[in-house]
Amino acid sequence: MAKTMEQLMDLIDKIPDEPAKPGEFILPELMAIQIAHQVRDDDIVFAGTGLPMVGIMTANFINAPHALLIYEAGICDGKTMHVPMSVCDHRAANLCSSLGGLVDTFGFYLQQGFVSLGFLGGAAIDKYGGVNVTCIGDYWKPTHRFTGSGGNSDIGTMAKRTAFIILQEKRRFLDRNEYTTTPGWWCWDFKTNEWKPKREVWKGTPFADSGPVVVVTNMANYKFDKNGEIYLDTFHPGVTVDQIKENCGFALNVKNVSGETKKPTYRELFVLREFVDAELIFLPQKVEYPASLKKLIKG
Amino acid sequence: MFKRGATKKAQIMSLEEAVKRYAKDGMMVAFGGFTAFNRNPIAFSWEMVRQGKKNIHVIDRHGSACTWILNAAGAIKIYETDWMGWGELAGKLDVNMERTYKAGKMILEDYSHGAMAMRFLAGAIGAPFIPYYAPQGSDLYNPKYDALGKAGMRDGKNPKIAKKKFMEMADPFFNTGNVVLLPAARADLAVVHVAQCGEKGTARWRGIGTIDKEICFAADKVVILCEEIVPESELRKNPEDNQIPYFVVDAIVECPWGAYPSSVPYYYDYDAPFLRGMDAASRNPEDMKKWKDDWVFSPKSWEDMITKVGAKRMLDLRADSTLGYSTRLLRGKKPAPRMTVPLSVARSGY
Repeated sequence: MAKTMEQLMDLIDKIPDEPAKPGEFILPELMAIQIAHQVRDDDIVFAGTGLPMVGIMTANFINAPHALLIYEAGICDGKTMHVPMSVCDHRAANLCSSLGGLVDTFGFYLQQGFVSLGFLGGAAIDKYGGVNVTCIGDYWKPTHRFTGSGGNSDIGTMAKRTAFIILQEKRRFLDRNEYTTTPGWWCWDFKTNEWKPKREVWKGTPFADSGPVVVVTNMANYKFDKNGEIYLDTFHPGVTVDQIKENCGFALNVKNVSGETKKPTYRELFVLREFVDAELIFLPQKVEYPASLKKLIKG
Repeated sequence: MFKRGATKKAQIMSLEEAVKRYAKDGMMVAFGGFTAFNRNPIAFSWEMVRQGKKNIHVIDRHGSACTWILNAAGAIKIYETDWMGWGELAGKLDVNMERTYKAGKMILEDYSHGAMAMRFLAGAIGAPFIPYYAPQGSDLYNPKYDALGKAGMRDGKNPKIAKKKFMEMADPFFNTGNVVLLPAARADLAVVHVAQCGEKGTARWRGIGTIDKEICFAADKVVILCEEIVPESELRKNPEDNQIPYFVVDAIVECPWGAYPSSVPYYYDYDAPFLRGMDAASRNPEDMKKWKDDWVFSPKSWEDMITKVGAKRMLDLRADSTLGYSTRLLRGKKPAPRMTVPLSVARSGY
C-alpha cells in the first residue's frame, strides 16, 4: 500500500538532511532547490511562471514556510497543495489571504514597495544583470521573437532583490543585450543617450537600490559586486570553472568563487519529489532514491 | 468623456447574436481572464473566427486562448500587449503568432504587465493617463521602439490610439525621480467570462480577478459570457461577492463551458492535455489548419464543440466543490495526490 500524504509528512524529519551523491539527483532538482535557498522566511516573494514557481513553492515547504507568495494574477499568500501550472491557476490561490487582480499585485504590492524578492526567468542576460525576454536580432525584424516582458521588467526593477534563473549558453550570457527588457545595475539613459548605473537613471525613485542579486543557471550560481557586475559564486557539481567560462559571452569574473554549489539533501529532494511535483509535471525524469531511503519511504 | 448618461438595459442573447452585434471588423477588443488558464471568453473569439471577423486590434495585458484562436485565423492586425505567450506551462510562446509577426502581418506594441494593468486602471477610472514607475532603461521605453508610431497610427485620427506611446517626466509633487506617464487603455469592446450573471447584468466570478473589472469599465461596450444566468435577487443577497454592476453591461450570453479549455474556478478546470495539443498544432501551418477544421469550423455550435470534447473529459475536469479545481485530471505523469492540508501550513501554520 502506498503511503498517504499524511504518512509521508510524518516521514520528513526521519529523512537525513545530508547531501545526496552525484547521480542521485538531476540538474533541474538542484536548480529548484538553489532557488528555494534564496528565499528568507520573512520575504514577500513575487515569482514568474515555470521553474521560479516550483522553486518558491519548495522554499515554502522547506526553509521559508512563512514567506508570503504573490502570484501576478492577483493571489496573495497562497498556500498551495498541488503545483500550479500558471500564475493564475486556482491551485496557487488555495487558502490564500486575499484575492484581487493585477492592480493589487503590481500596484498595491509591487509599486507600493512591499515586494522583497522577485524570482524570474530570462532568455538572455548581460553582465550587469539586464535581461532580455523580447527578441534576438533587430527589434523590427527579429530572428527570434520571445514573449516579451510580461511582469519581468516590473518585478525585476521594483522588487528589492531579484533572482533570475537562466539557461547558460555563450549566446545568452552577453556583454550587452540586443534588447533590454529588464534593466540591470547598468542601463541606458534614453534622456541623455548614455550607458549609466541604474542608481543614477532611477535617482530619487524608491527603487534606485533595487535590482538583481542572484542568477541561477544550469552550470553555476552568480552574484553581483559593488559596481553591479556579475561574478561567479559557486559552480554546480561536475562543472568546471573553465566550462563555465566557455559558456559565457564576456570575460567573466572568477576571482571570488566560493566553491561548489551545495548538493541538495535527501530531505530536500524528498519534499520536492513527493510534495511539490508529485504529479511529475515539471521534473518528469526522476532518479531513484538510494536503497535505504527507498525502504524507509515505501515501508 | 460622459459616454453614458443613463443606465442601459443589458440584453440576453445567443453567442451568435452577440458576436454579430458587438464584434466589428477593425475594432479594438479587450478579453478577460488570464493567459490560457483562467476564465478566457473563448467561445466569443471562437465565434468571431467562425463569422470571419478581421483586422482586430487586440489590446490586452497578455495573450490567451482567445488571441491564439484569433491569430490562428489571421484575424489580428494590431496587438498591443505585454506578453505574446499564451499557455505558460502548456506552451509558453504562441509559436504561430511569432510566425505572423515575423512575416510582417501584425503590428505588435510592447508594454509590460504592470504598465498594461495601470493603463486599464486609468481607462476604468476615466483618467486620460497614469504615472507609473515603468522601468526606465528598458527598451520598452526606448523612444525608437514605438510600433504604432512607426506605422503612422499615432496621428490622432483613431481616438482609441494614444498620440504617444508614453512620456517621461519628473515627479512634480514629491521629488521622487522620474515617472513614466502611460496613456489610458480604452477598448471599443470588452468581453469577459464569469461564473454567474443576473438577468439584469450583475456579474460574479470566484477566484482571481485579473483585470476584468477594469477592462469592463474602460470599454465602450461590454459583453458578459457566463456559466449560468441566475436571478438578480440571488446575487443581491451577497452583493460583496459581485464584481461588475449591471449598468456597464450591454449583452449577456449564457454559455456553459464557454471558457473551455481554460478554467472557471469552482466549475471546471483547465484542460492541460488539450492546451498542449493546441501548442503542438501551432508548430506548423498544416496541423494548424487541421486543428481549425476539427475544432472551430466543423462543430455546428459551441454546444456541439463541447459535446466533441466528450463526457469523460468533462467529468475529469469538473471542479471539486471545496477546492475549486479538479484533482482527477491527469496533468503530468502521475495523478494528483490526495491532500487535506498544504505541507507549509501543516508544519508551520500560516
